[in-house]
Amino acid sequence: MMNRRNFLKKAAAASAMAAAATMIPGILFASDQIDKKLSGDINWTKGPCRFCGVGCGVLIGTQKGKAVAVKGDPNCSVNKGLLCVKGYHQIMCTSSADRLTKPLVKKNGKYVETSMEEALDLVASKMKETIEKHGKDSVAMYTSGQSTIPEGYVASKFMKGAIGTNNLDCNARLCMASAVTGFLTTFGADEPMGCYEDIEHANVFVLWGNNMAEMHPVLFSRMLDNRLNRKNVKIIDLATRTTRTSKAADKSILFKPQSDLAIANAICYELINNGWVNNSFVEKHIAFNKGKTNIGYGLEDKFKFKDKATPIDFDQYKSFLEDYRPDKVEAITGVSAKDIKYLASLYGDPNLKVVSFWCMGMNQHTRGTWINNLVYNIHLLTGKISQPGNGPFSLTGQPSACGTAREVGTFTHKLPKGVVMNKKHRELAAKIWKVPYERIPDKPTYHATEMFRAVDRGDIKFIWTQVTNPLVSLPKTSRYRPAMQKDSCFVVVSDVFPTPTSDVADVILPAAWHVEKSGLYGNSERRTQYWDKMVEAPGEAMPDAWMTIEIARRMGYGDLFPYSKENHHEEIYNEYRQFHAGKKHNMAPLEVLKKQSGVIWPYIEETGKSTQWRFNSKYDPACNQDKDFDFYGKPDGKAVIWQRPYEPAPEIPDNEYPFWLNTGRVIEHWHTGSMTRRIPVLHQAVPNAYVELHPDDAKQMGIRNKQKVKVISRRGTTILPASINERGLPTKGQVFVPFFDESMMINDVTLDAFCPISKEPDYKKCAVRIEKV
Amino acid sequence: MKQGYVIIGFWIVLLIAAGFIVKASLTEEQALNYSEIIAEPATNALPVEEGMFRLAGSAKAFLQRPNMGATSTNLEEYYKRRAFPGAPPIIPHPTEEAHSMGGNDCLQCHQNGGYVDEYKAFAPITPHTEYINCKQCHLPVNTTGVFKPNRWKKTDAPEAKQQALLGSPPIIPHSLEMRNNCLACHAGPSAPAEIRVSHPDRVNCRQCHALNDNAKNTTKIWTR
Amino acid sequence: MPIKSYVAFPRKGEKEQLIKVLENTKHCEVLPATNKEVLVLVTDTKDDQQEEALQQILDSIEEIEHLNLVSGFSEKIT
Repeated sequence: MMNRRNFLKKAAAASAMAAAATMIPGILFASDQIDKKLSGDINWTKGPCRFCGVGCGVLIGTQKGKAVAVKGDPNCSVNKGLLCVKGYHQIMCTSSADRLTKPLVKKNGKYVETSMEEALDLVASKMKETIEKHGKDSVAMYTSGQSTIPEGYVASKFMKGAIGTNNLDCNARLCMASAVTGFLTTFGADEPMGCYEDIEHANVFVLWGNNMAEMHPVLFSRMLDNRLNRKNVKIIDLATRTTRTSKAADKSILFKPQSDLAIANAICYELINNGWVNNSFVEKHIAFNKGKTNIGYGLEDKFKFKDKATPIDFDQYKSFLEDYRPDKVEAITGVSAKDIKYLASLYGDPNLKVVSFWCMGMNQHTRGTWINNLVYNIHLLTGKISQPGNGPFSLTGQPSACGTAREVGTFTHKLPKGVVMNKKHRELAAKIWKVPYERIPDKPTYHATEMFRAVDRGDIKFIWTQVTNPLVSLPKTSRYRPAMQKDSCFVVVSDVFPTPTSDVADVILPAAWHVEKSGLYGNSERRTQYWDKMVEAPGEAMPDAWMTIEIARRMGYGDLFPYSKENHHEEIYNEYRQFHAGKKHNMAPLEVLKKQSGVIWPYIEETGKSTQWRFNSKYDPACNQDKDFDFYGKPDGKAVIWQRPYEPAPEIPDNEYPFWLNTGRVIEHWHTGSMTRRIPVLHQAVPNAYVELHPDDAKQMGIRNKQKVKVISRRGTTILPASINERGLPTKGQVFVPFFDESMMINDVTLDAFCPISKEPDYKKCAVRIEKV
Repeated sequence: MKQGYVIIGFWIVLLIAAGFIVKASLTEEQALNYSEIIAEPATNALPVEEGMFRLAGSAKAFLQRPNMGATSTNLEEYYKRRAFPGAPPIIPHPTEEAHSMGGNDCLQCHQNGGYVDEYKAFAPITPHTEYINCKQCHLPVNTTGVFKPNRWKKTDAPEAKQQALLGSPPIIPHSLEMRNNCLACHAGPSAPAEIRVSHPDRVNCRQCHALNDNAKNTTKIWTR
Repeated sequence: MPIKSYVAFPRKGEKEQLIKVLENTKHCEVLPATNKEVLVLVTDTKDDQQEEALQQILDSIEEIEHLNLVSGFSEKIT
C-alpha cells in the first residue's frame, strides 16, 4: 500500500498528465514511470508483527511494490521501537522460491496446477457432497491463532451460522485453552486483567516455566530495562530447565515436572501460615470452590469430562493446604522449603508489587486449568491483582490467539460472544448473522485432538485447515499423519508455503501472507491492532477470509456473506464489533485502530481510552463503582479461589523409558518453522532441531555433543544430534527438544494426553529413552 | 515505450483554461486539490535523543587510538552482515556459552570497543548498550546453507549524497532507531573507513547533521 | 508541506538537457512524455521555506520555456 504522501504525488502527477493530454492530443507517458520514478523512497507502514503473541508494532518498509525492510514502531507502546530477530527479518520469508502461488489439486497421486476458480469449485462441491451424503457433522474446519479477526469471524459464521455444525476448532486449543478455562473458572471472563505497563510498576517478576528471554524477548528486554533503571526489582525464574532466562534472572529455582501444582499450593500455605493474607480483600471479593479430583488424562478416544464446582469455606481450604507444607512437598517438587518460603515472602510482602508471567509451561499441562487457578489463588489471597504492577499475567504464543481464537471464538464450544450451550448466546449470534437460531447446534463437537482422532476413525470425511500446520504441531503425529493420509477424508489445506500438512492435502489453496492483505490481530494484553495491505500477493494467492467467503457463496450461502472483495476485512470487523458492544468488552472502532498502534479493550467511548486494568473501579468503568474491585465476570462479583490438588503426570519415567521429554521453541524459530526456516538469517543460526541432555547423563551414556541419538517413546522415534551445554541445560533425567523441525519430528514421540477441562495437550511431559545411533 | 499512458479528465480542461500561457500562473491557494489530514495523537516515541552522548567521554580517544595494524571493516563487509540496510547484523565470529547474557559476555568487548588480538581487529561498538539480551536480535552463523532457496534482494544502502548546498554538512540518510549513538559506528578504528568521521571530538553530531527522518509522517494511513 | 505538479515545456531541443537538470534538482521528480517535447514535473517540499527556495531554483532554470502549475496539495497538520 502506498503511503499518503506518495498517493498525493501520484494524484498530482496524474492530474498533470491529464492536463498535458488535453493540451497536446496524442501525448504518451510510459505507464510504469509513475511507480518507478515516484517510489524511490522507502514507505513505512505500521502493523503488528506476524509472529508471537507479544504483538510488537512494526513498520514495514516498501519500495516499488515490494517489502524491503522492517523496523520497530516507536509509536507502539508494546515495544517502543524494539523488535527481536524474527521480527526484523519477517518479510524475507515471502521471497522463498517455493512460495505457493497457484492452487494445486491432487490427480492420480500427483499435484496439478489449476485456476483458483476451478479449485474453489472443487472444494465447494466436495464439501456439499460430503454434507449431503454423511451429514453436517462429517465436515470440519481447523483454523488458527494466526488467523486475522475477519478470517476467524467468517470461518465461525460459515460453519456454525451457515452450515450449522460446531465442527470448528483451532490450533489455539494446543496453546491457550488452559489459560481460557483458568480465566473462566476463576474470574468468569477471559484474558488478563492487566497490561504490559505492569512491567514498569512491578518490583518482582515470577516466571512460571516461561523462558521469556527467548519466547517473549521484547517483553523480557522491557523487564531487564526496568531492572536497570529502578532499584528493588527482581526476576525469579521458576523452571524445569536452565535457560537464558535463568542466567539473566536474579534467582533460578528448578523444580520437577508437574510439581508446579504443589509449589503453588505450598506458597498459599505459607501465605496463610504467616498471616500474609489480605483479609479485607478476601472477605469482600473472594468465593471458595473445590472441583472434582482424579479427573483423568483424555488418552482414550471420545473421552468425556465435566467438572463440578462445590462451594467450600476458608477453613476447609486452609486444612486442605496442610498437605502442602513446604517441607512436606520437597520430595515431590525437588525445591527446598527455604526457596518456597522465599517465594511466599515475595508474594506476601505488602510493599512489593508482584507480576507472575507464564505461557506454555502452565498451559500445555494435563492439569493446565488447575495450575492457572492455583497461581490466581496466590494473587487473590494477597489482593495483588488488577493494579499497576500487581497481577497474574498469562502470555500468548500466537499473534491473534486472543484476538481471533478467544475473542471471535473459533472453538467448537464458542460463539463470538459466549458459548453454543447458552440459548441467549445462540440467539444473539443468530440475530447478527441473520440465520434461524435453531441452525446453531447447542452441543460442542470435536476439540483439536479429538477432531484428528475423528479423522482417523473416519467420522470426519472432509477437513479444511487454514493458517496452521497440524502435522507438525499436534502431539502424537505418529497417529495423526497416517490418519490424514487415509482416503476416507478429503483434505484441503490453505497455506503460504508447502508444509508436511499440505503434503497430505487433496487440494492446496495458496494464501496471501500477513502484509499482502489487510487485517486485525489481538495480542496478549487485549490490544487490537489493525494493518493495511502493503504489497500484492504473488500469483493467485488470496486472503483466507476471502477463500472462505468464496466457498460459502458457491455452497449457496451468498446472502450471508455480502462483503466486497476490496473491503471485506472492514465490513466484517464492523459486523463483528456488534457482538462485543457494552462496557465489558467494547472494541475500538476501525477509524481509531487505523490511526493508533493498537487499542486495549474495553475501549471507553466517552474518553477514547483503553482500559488498562480491568475489575478495578479506578480504571474500569464497567465495574460497579460502589466497590473498589468488581470481578464482574461472575454473577456475585467475586473471584474464585479453587481447591486443586497435586496429581501426577500420566506418563512418568520408568526403567524402560527413564527420561522426561520436554519440548518447546528457540528464539530463532517460530511455531512449526514454516516461515522462520525460510528466512536465511534465522535458518543459518539454527538449521535443525537437537536434543539437549544434561552433561552427566550424556557422559554416562557416552554421548558427545552433536552426536546423533535416537529419542524413543511408546509412540514413536526420531533421530537428532545431541546438544550438551549449549542453548539450554535440562535437569538430570530430562531431555529437551525444540519442535520446529519437520525433518526431525519430535511430535511423533510426544503423548496426546490433555487437560480434561481445557482439552489442551501436554507437550512438556512424557517418558522417553535415549539410544546412540 | 510499449504502452501508452493517457488520462483525460473533463475537469482538467477548466483548469488548463486558467493555467495555460503564464509561467507558474497559479498560486498554491488557487490550485485544485486540498486535503485535510487528521492529526496523529501524540504518543511517547522511542527517545531518539537517548544515548547520543554516551561515548562523548572517549571521543578524544578515538582520535588518538592507534590502528595497531588491524584490518578495519569496509562498508561492503559492514552491509554484508545485514539482511537489509537497518537490519540487526549477524555475529560473524564464534561465540561461547549460548545461554549467557550480554552484560557478562558480548558487552565485554562491544561496549567500548578495543583491539582483539585473536581477530586482528577492533571490536565494533554497540550503539545500544542498554539492551543486554544481545541474541534477541543478533545471531551467529552456524551453517551457510538455506532451508529453501530464497529470492530476497537487498535494497541499496542509503547514501549521504544529499547536501542542501555545496559543501554543507551531509544529512543523516538512515533512521536512528536502535542507532542513536553516532560515534558507535562512525568513530574510531572499528568504524568502516568509508563512514568514519574525521571529527569525532565534535560529539554533538546533530548540531550540523540533520536527520532525513521521513518515518514520522508516513506511519499515517490515508483517510478520506 | 506542498506537493505540486506542473506541465513543463522545454526550450526547443533542450528536453533531454532539462530532464537532466531537473533530475538533479532536489525535491523534483520528472516524468517525460515519450513522444512529445513536454514533461511532467512533481515537486515535494517539506515546508514553505523549502518551497520558496525551490521556486527560485525553478525560476533560474534556463531550459524551461513555460511551467504550468496543474495541481497542488497542502497538508496542514494541527
